[in-house]
Amino acid sequence: MHDFTRRNFLKVAGVTSAAAFAGIGCAANGTRGADRAHVVVVGGGSGGATTAKYLKQFSPNLRVTLIEPNATYYTCYGSNWVIGGFANMDFIAQSYDNLRDDYDIEIVEDRVTAVDADARSVRLSGGDSISYDKLVMSPGIDFKYDDMPGISESDAERIPHAWKAGSQTELLRSQLQDMPNGGVFVMVAPPNPFRCPPGPYERVSLVAHYFKQEKPRSKIIILDPKDGFSKQGLFEEGWNEHYGDMIEWRAGSDGGRAEEIDVDNMTVRADSGFERVRADVLNFIPAQRAGQIAHDVGLTNDEGWVPVDQLTFKSEMDDNIYVLGDASVAGAMPKSGHSANNQGKIVAAAIVRELSGQEPINPSSANTCYSLVTPDYAISVAAVYQYKDGAQAGVDGSGGVSPSGASSSFREREANYTRAWYAGITRDIWG
Amino acid sequence: MKKSHLYLVGLAASLAMAGTATQAFADDEITRGQLMAASCKACHNAAGAEEGVPDLARIPAGVIESQMKAFRDGDRDATIMDRHAKGYSDEEIEAMAGYFSRF
Repeated sequence: MHDFTRRNFLKVAGVTSAAAFAGIGCAANGTRGADRAHVVVVGGGSGGATTAKYLKQFSPNLRVTLIEPNATYYTCYGSNWVIGGFANMDFIAQSYDNLRDDYDIEIVEDRVTAVDADARSVRLSGGDSISYDKLVMSPGIDFKYDDMPGISESDAERIPHAWKAGSQTELLRSQLQDMPNGGVFVMVAPPNPFRCPPGPYERVSLVAHYFKQEKPRSKIIILDPKDGFSKQGLFEEGWNEHYGDMIEWRAGSDGGRAEEIDVDNMTVRADSGFERVRADVLNFIPAQRAGQIAHDVGLTNDEGWVPVDQLTFKSEMDDNIYVLGDASVAGAMPKSGHSANNQGKIVAAAIVRELSGQEPINPSSANTCYSLVTPDYAISVAAVYQYKDGAQAGVDGSGGVSPSGASSSFREREANYTRAWYAGITRDIWG
Repeated sequence: MKKSHLYLVGLAASLAMAGTATQAFADDEITRGQLMAASCKACHNAAGAEEGVPDLARIPAGVIESQMKAFRDGDRDATIMDRHAKGYSDEEIEAMAGYFSRF
């Protein structure tokens, strides 16, 4: 049923053009020029699912197809709560039922293996092809295992990254449960840029929360190639207050840079070989790049990310392809679910306006990122962005992190808002 | 209902204006205020409201305007909305305030 022939595709394109040229007369009937076009969205995470939903909100008669291989999507945000032992996998599971049933989005459960940009069609692993007028890709991240000697992708079954939520999340959780009291949890943190900048540090916070309750003699060591990290002062304030000296963070310039991983001995070599750190549970979060399909289609730059026109998130490489979310180069916007959600709305509006022959608009967008230090103690960073001089940039005077030295009731309110944020954004994306 | 809501609002507005085709087309466009309001919906929706974050669809535009300005100018206590509100001018706040009830 998804096997569109070239001739059918041309018919669709013809209708689109006719509708676009109809312009004002069409709009007078309450429809937009975009209505008959077909937009295919690849990837059902925060960026892709938001784009699909808002395309239908902005232009209800548009035909929208969302291609995603997994029937259930597990959000990366919230997965640290599972690892910390106070949420289960069902809590972070999202389905596509509402997008299909309430928004009339066609859900195709398959993997895109190739894109023919000239023919404007995507090929699925089953062999079928789907034609598009506009293609949206939100492929997320893949890992650069080659950057770390001694370990390869297949080792993730023993040494989880848990940086894509799902079975990896459960694996890390079960390893922590099996670890004896007095054990050592070692995290090898990733270099910039990577998905969810505060995520590694929230994770160690919540592992510490679990250890404090169940295995209080245990230790946590973060080996970090960086010399600083997101919300660092606030995390360290919270660690001191709640976990004493359980968490040890080693900066890149202070011996923290991992140089090789000995998988069989669960040991990380660091500091020019002077340091060998043995782990009972090892969480290696590799360096990252855009999801593989973006590379296959030829959309990536030398650094492995996708350059886009940051006003519309249209690929610099192809006029009919939009790329958003973690895979894209988005100026000051961090690689976060909230950024992807906001970008999805920008992309949806840009596509509907372009199909209607209108110029793009320059909105402002936002990022809100909460991190739990304990289940009742959260810190946040917020920002407002606008496109300026070719890039998404923070609006002067806006944004920033939670105050340092705030009261426990302030931290608790932010912990409550953390749960509200999760409920809200998942409803906005998949609800 | 959900999927046709925006369309119906747009159509109703078009009919209400009963103006020229050009005016009807302009009203049918996605506007900057609408897109900025969509950004806020990430948190401020019915599900967020169940956990204590106001659903802006249920709050009058005038109240949204006055509270955003109060957050921005430090006249209302906040955990995070002060940091957000400082990113918007009066004109931007007014442009988006009227859209929440339409989603």
